[in-house]
Amino acid sequence: MEHMGIEPGRLQFSWVSSAESTKFVSVVNEVTDIIKKLGPNDRFVKKDVRVA
Amino acid sequence: MSDWEPKIVAFLCNWCSYGAADLAGVGRMEYPANIRVIRIPCTGRMSPKFFLAALREGADGVWVSG
Amino acid sequence: MTATIDRIKEIVRGVLTDCRVDLVIGFRKGTVAMMNEPCFIKSPDEADQLVWDSNCGINLANYLANRTGKIGIIAKGCDSRNIATHIIENKIQRDQLFIIGVPCQGMVDRRRIIAMFDGEVREVVESDGRVTVKGADFEKTLEKSELLQQNCSLCTHRNPVIFDEMAADPVEEQQNVDRYADVKEIEALDSGQRWEYFEKLLEPCIRCYACRNACPLCYCPTCFVDESRPQWVGKSQNPVDVRTFHFLRAYHCAGRCTDCGACERVCPVGINMRVFTKKLEKDCFENFGWEAGLSPDVRPPLDTYSPDDPDDFIK
Repeated sequence: MEHMGIEPGRLQFSWVSSAESTKFVSVVNEVTDIIKKLGPNDRFVKKDVRVA
Repeated sequence: MSDWEPKIVAFLCNWCSYGAADLAGVGRMEYPANIRVIRIPCTGRMSPKFFLAALREGADGVWVSG
Repeated sequence: MTATIDRIKEIVRGVLTDCRVDLVIGFRKGTVAMMNEPCFIKSPDEADQLVWDSNCGINLANYLANRTGKIGIIAKGCDSRNIATHIIENKIQRDQLFIIGVPCQGMVDRRRIIAMFDGEVREVVESDGRVTVKGADFEKTLEKSELLQQNCSLCTHRNPVIFDEMAADPVEEQQNVDRYADVKEIEALDSGQRWEYFEKLLEPCIRCYACRNACPLCYCPTCFVDESRPQWVGKSQNPVDVRTFHFLRAYHCAGRCTDCGACERVCPVGINMRVFTKKLEKDCFENFGWEAGLSPDVRPPLDTYSPDDPDDFIK
């Protein structure tokens, strides 16, 4: 992904057990922050109107 | 642009993170509303097709969690 | 070269006469210069059609997947590695195969030769490491070592890794080759530059899928690009769709690609899509010490789990 030129951080991986709701919340916060800093995704988006 | 909020597609494993999300809900914890959850049967179901499709259709970020 | 081809013909005649195989997959001369085409030899008298020179860049392992019966196949280094991959992936059984190994000195880059001359190249003859290119009104002799396909000039597995019989003595393997110089160049770029680099690289792509068809690894009954429900990749020339195709194709080849160069060779518009697969090849080598197809008995890294596998990317 990054090799191809999509910003590092657009894709995140994590490992959260089903009992770790606090970790879940903290990861959501973290991921949201990272993506907010990166700004909108304008590279890998289909910009033209989709033809059904 | 200041009021821009990212759209994040979250692929959550049914047995791990989806459970954690459920528990967070039961516990009435607060977290950002930017994530759109997609439940997958297991993180092993994840395929590069999924996140490419998400980004292509306009997601700003993709989060995969097992 | 002549000794090699005579030996190949002899072996092929032998195995067909003894009925050890039903057919032999090899190369015969194509209708256009520098385009040898694959052929299936079914009787000993047809063996004379076979050729072997520096224009046999197509990967013959491509014709093996799911084939039944006993098959003879002519294999250079990369072909044999792809055959090993097929055996690992249960696409063919080892005892179905009679592998005629041919040590390889590299294949010539057809595009580069054509670009060197104004007129049509009608014939290319080679002897002792030199190639003579003939056209209607020109003739020139060149050093073959300077005309190799890029992947061949970086090849470190020229001799077949599995074979039943060798058609010639093994050649010396190249030492001290920096296989990943081009990948490192891209890695040195920043994210935006990389995006542009690939944008430019893929711009001419016409989505003919020749790279997929020539690839021995691409044997899925329905390729993801042909799926329509759900449709993962749009069928248009949209740059995002084109990129999705190349990116996913490369990912499907992760840990399996032997860098045989068939994809680049067959591309009608000359895209070097090997920069995608090579990055993954480099990652597999650096993270798992893995080079694809060196043995049919070792499971590939994406198929096995070890507690030491790198996992820094997971939170």
